[in-house]
Amino acid sequence: MPETVPAAGLAAARASGRPRLARAAPLAVALLAAMALWVAPLVLDTFAVNVLTRSMIYAVLAVTVDLLWGFAGILTFGQAAFFGIGAYATAMLLSAQGGAPHWMAAAAALAVVAPLLLGLAVGWLSFYHRSTPLYASVISLVVPIVVTQGIYSGGERTGSSSGLVGFDVLPLEIEGFFRLAAILLVVVTLAAWILVRSDAGRLLVALRDNEARCAYLGLNPRRLQIGLTAVLAGVAGLAGFVFANASGVVAPENAGFLFGTELVIWVALGGRGTLVGPVLGTIAIDYLAANLSGDLPFLWQLLLGTAFVAIIILLPGGLAELARRAVSVLPLGRRAAAPRLAARPARAAPRNEAPLLSVEGLAKSYGSLTVLESIDLTVRAGELVSLVGPNGAGKTTLMRCLSDGTEPFRGSVAVAGTATAGLTPNRIVALGVGRKFQVASVFESLSVAECLRLARAAHEAPSPLRRADILGLPQPVLDILRMTGLDALMAEPARLLSHGQKQALELAMVMALEPRIILLDEPTAGLTKAERTTIGTVLKGLAADLGIAVVLVEHDLDFVREISSRIVVLHQGRLVLDGTVEEVVGSALVRTIYAGGAHA
Amino acid sequence: MLLLLDILTTAAILFVVAIGLLAVFGVLKIINFAHGAWLTIGAYCAVVTGKLGLNPWAALPIAFVVGAALGGLAEYVIIRPLYRRPLDAILATWGLGIVVGQLITLAFGRDVQLTPNLLSGTVEILGTGYSAYRLVALVAALVIGAVFALVIERTRLGLSARAVIMNETLARSLGLDTARVRLVVFMIGAGLAALAGVLLTPLTSVDPTMGVGWLIGAFMLVMVADTSFLALAAACLVFGAAQVLVSTFVSPVLGSIAVAVLAALVLRISPKGFSRA
Amino acid sequence: MPETTQRDGTGGLVLDGVSSGYGAVAIVKGVSLRVGPGEIVALLGKNGMGKTTLLKTILGLVALRAGSIAIDGRSVAGLSPARLVALGIGYAPQEQPLFQDLSIRDNLRLALASDRLLPEALDRVFGHFPFLKDRLAQRAGTLSGGEQKMLILARALMLRPRLLLIDEISEGLQPSVVDRIAAALTAERAASGTAMLIVEQNLGFALKVADRWAALKLGEIDDEGGIDGTARERILGHLSV
Repeated sequence: MPETVPAAGLAAARASGRPRLARAAPLAVALLAAMALWVAPLVLDTFAVNVLTRSMIYAVLAVTVDLLWGFAGILTFGQAAFFGIGAYATAMLLSAQGGAPHWMAAAAALAVVAPLLLGLAVGWLSFYHRSTPLYASVISLVVPIVVTQGIYSGGERTGSSSGLVGFDVLPLEIEGFFRLAAILLVVVTLAAWILVRSDAGRLLVALRDNEARCAYLGLNPRRLQIGLTAVLAGVAGLAGFVFANASGVVAPENAGFLFGTELVIWVALGGRGTLVGPVLGTIAIDYLAANLSGDLPFLWQLLLGTAFVAIIILLPGGLAELARRAVSVLPLGRRAAAPRLAARPARAAPRNEAPLLSVEGLAKSYGSLTVLESIDLTVRAGELVSLVGPNGAGKTTLMRCLSDGTEPFRGSVAVAGTATAGLTPNRIVALGVGRKFQVASVFESLSVAECLRLARAAHEAPSPLRRADILGLPQPVLDILRMTGLDALMAEPARLLSHGQKQALELAMVMALEPRIILLDEPTAGLTKAERTTIGTVLKGLAADLGIAVVLVEHDLDFVREISSRIVVLHQGRLVLDGTVEEVVGSALVRTIYAGGAHA
Repeated sequence: MLLLLDILTTAAILFVVAIGLLAVFGVLKIINFAHGAWLTIGAYCAVVTGKLGLNPWAALPIAFVVGAALGGLAEYVIIRPLYRRPLDAILATWGLGIVVGQLITLAFGRDVQLTPNLLSGTVEILGTGYSAYRLVALVAALVIGAVFALVIERTRLGLSARAVIMNETLARSLGLDTARVRLVVFMIGAGLAALAGVLLTPLTSVDPTMGVGWLIGAFMLVMVADTSFLALAAACLVFGAAQVLVSTFVSPVLGSIAVAVLAALVLRISPKGFSRA
Repeated sequence: MPETTQRDGTGGLVLDGVSSGYGAVAIVKGVSLRVGPGEIVALLGKNGMGKTTLLKTILGLVALRAGSIAIDGRSVAGLSPARLVALGIGYAPQEQPLFQDLSIRDNLRLALASDRLLPEALDRVFGHFPFLKDRLAQRAGTLSGGEQKMLILARALMLRPRLLLIDEISEGLQPSVVDRIAAALTAERAASGTAMLIVEQNLGFALKVADRWAALKLGEIDDEGGIDGTARERILGHLSV
């Protein structure tokens, strides 16, 4: 289920056109915020200090929900459970052992590690090859319910439905707890801010935009999602530790599903995918709630619920989007400078005559419907093989079987001698296979440069702290960018590219993997004549000069005739002809197939 | 024997609660998180029926009509704009549930309400008394299931709904007004939820948040059943049995989460749940 | 070929500068084409040239981006598929064309707005395809490929359309079945004066049933003409490798 979240939210993180200043901006803002919060307890009354302490702890949770949902596209109700476990771990340990410094340290460690481990388990359960976003949300609903029931059945140790109270806490005054919560919030938000602005942070957005493309860039989406879930579970647990200390009481509601939904509501109202929106939204709403719900308890909830529904329908970017619209009226230029392009030495590809791709007896059927039958095909380095055939001949299915070993099929597929059966797409990519999809598959929210950097991520891990000034790409990629004019559009968001530019970008991304074989599904569909010619020239060059094996599905037979070294004809799931361009063009069989009426 | 009856009646109640959600999920491909609120609406229809001094059974048709009418409004205002954003639809319907809950609180207060007894007393089965109402619930589930099956299999609306479930694009290209089919199915789903709310009144306390507890169970059952009505019945039996057995022999607390945990595991192993069998 | 075409310029289907596509991709680019009442026009071209998208645009399944579409002199741009079908457009799609798990009877029922018209419509299509009569309860997915194609066409004929849009109905069929389908189309046209736009890759079939042809290339009309002595060679030039 692809959600259409306006990606404009990312523009905020993309910041201003002055890189040096922009890089220091998060630190400066964090420092100012920390200073302001440090003196705040001196001017606020006790009630406000108490409430805001809680609000800021909740805002930490909102940051984790925003990273998961707003950035990585994982709608989660489970952060409450990790928070609750952290709080309960703290309260239980301190109840049992007292608040001596070493036990306090142990409680903090436990409050992080226990949710982290549960997060790993939940991540493993939620994310697997072909799992759906909805399934992950389902699991995130179950976790708080299970945790809450566990608390209820914990008897004396968890205090059951009344919770735990009266355990030793950190020796701080309420101002101290306020400052502790403020430091935690500033640190977590700053870390999240630095992460989402960094090259590695773009990976989160890439996961949300197009998980399949991530896998076909050789990245392991599962590992990233599970890791993110676990780390943010740990952060939520730490917030739980501070909460247990600051409030001196923990209750089952702190871990419950309802609290989990409240977090999502705050993030949605504040503006998902903006960090600052959820932080301010959470603090404002929780503070208002504490002030208003005493006088108008039901009306307040009613207003909040109505606002939430309205925001989801009319303003999916939340209040932050409203603020941004207001600001963008002002003439503030703010597009990030693109990194400088640089050529990196190509890996010497050993050329030999052994087949790069060999397919033997491949067959695939859906139920009783046979789509492919006894396909034998061998492709060597430097060949440019076109797969042609009428609709429904099985061309796209064949491409899928070649690039995803988990597709159920009979027969064998080997890449450079390694059988691909059972391998997920990212592992086949690691064997040297690049796949370009029929509909250009790029990261719509990211800039051209960011898309290309992610395409290199499997080779060079992107930094989680900063954005690099230089983007090193193999020479063939630079050639593609130059020929298609993309090199002048490096800072352009991919969603604003024309169809032809997107196709070229995807090809460049695939080539950035430095593959030995590339599989292309209709690379010229919907392109202009000039664009076709360019793509044709590029492909011929890749095969002839670099010895890359190119396999493409193509409908435009003029194009096929122009560029192919071999043509393979599929018809009704069978390979009916495999020969040179002359052989195929002159074939009476092909003429009949295309004029209709031929039978397998 | 009593255990078996417990299992059957538990499954029946789960089925009654989940069927409206299934209809909506099947045709609209949207998870209606306001389903719990509509259960509550139904239960409060029973409360109002009692206050008006009407026959308690009259609450059933009243709840169905009220639930369907309000459901139609919700579909038009909230579901329709989110049709292409299914995850957002979950959130918006959850928000709608909050709004409904608060409106009910404003109108009736936060306290537990008393409803007139639909049927009290016990029935002698194999020498022990068994709650007569739980047997009524079993019959109600069978009747609702049978009527639902008849509508799906025998009526034009059922055919249209199945066509939309199977292949919405084709249904549209044959001239089916799919927006109308979605509206009508949502109204029926909401009506069934309200009906279930009335049937729940003798079994649970009636308060503005009563629906939430039932929502998650129903949601998990529908996830496992996918869009198949028979798979839902099977899932209710299997998970209902698990709930009763775990509650009886292990602990009631574990029993209360048995449905959710088992459903999550079933989905992990077989993403299409029970519908493939 | 019987000359039933009216040439008054208003009847039938008139496309003028029609453009459409998906997302950023333009598939159909400024197509102008006319199918007179009772006329059969074959739309030919290789795969991926925009033929199916053009049919879907006429039926309102794909949004019209530029140009106009008129049926019997009335502009139909922007109408929903439901409205267009109610106006008398029948459609025989190529991809996922049947509800595989529904019975033949239910597949046919879905073409009509109400079951009241069912007996009469069934009788009419049984006239074209008698085998359907005894197998109404059979699941559509269990039919052979040729039978499925005949069912698709039968369903499109159920509402006695004024305009019939047919997408590659002859694909993968034996010559005998292709002949039966051709006979059904010509008989329906003779009986009801139906205008038909048929997307084809089977040249023999197209030559047999159509009055005129047009070739689509990369979303534009590349060539068109009447069915005459030169048609076969000219069309083959557009279809082959």
